[in-house]
Amino acid sequence: MDSITTAASVVAAGLAVGLGAIGPGIGQGSAAQGAVEGIARQPEAEGKIRGTLLLSFAFMESLTIYGLVVALVLLFANPFAG
Amino acid sequence: MPSETVENCSSHDPLLDIDSSDSSSGVKSDEYLELQFRVFRLTFLLTIFSVGIAGFFWGIQAGASLFIGALSGIFYFRLLARGIGRLGTSSKIVGKVQLLVPVLLVLVSSRFPQLDLIPALLGFLLYKPALIIQFLSMP
Repeated sequence: MDSITTAASVVAAGLAVGLGAIGPGIGQGSAAQGAVEGIARQPEAEGKIRGTLLLSFAFMESLTIYGLVVALVLLFANPFAG
Repeated sequence: MPSETVENCSSHDPLLDIDSSDSSSGVKSDEYLELQFRVFRLTFLLTIFSVGIAGFFWGIQAGASLFIGALSGIFYFRLLARGIGRLGTSSKIVGKVQLLVPVLLVLVSSRFPQLDLIPALLGFLLYKPALIIQFLSMP
């Protein structure tokens, strides 16, 4: 792998993780805030709130995982390496 | 007497009644556990189905990679569920430990030639169809 490809892969890996984590991070923070407020207001609905939070967290965190996987593939199994 | 006053308060006020709040919390966590088990069961069924198909069409190596990826996806989901279960009680944030699971999966599948990367990643993502099915079947 030449140096330009290596440098571009490292920069792209950093961008993939960094940019890919912004949106899910904001979303997870606001979802957790809403869930904790909802549990505090309605403790009898705790199970349902936690279940919905689990599903939404799994969906949101998969976006982070996509970026993470792209970055790891670029770093450890680079398809552009000659 | 002060002790009688406390007893009366605890028997009438639900906010001070520790025993009843504990038992209702157990019911709520049962509901949460039931949801987790439903997702695990669905993921396991999807895993068996897709491992069979992958092993039949693309060989035993692809099937094994898919199976390992699916197991790591189940482990990831278990860690995520545990982090959310702790939210608000013993922890104020949801931990990020579960993100180490896909990292380790990619590292292991890139180091060992017996594992294929793409089937392992597809197997890891098998928890998502289970989640979608579960989400659509929720009342």
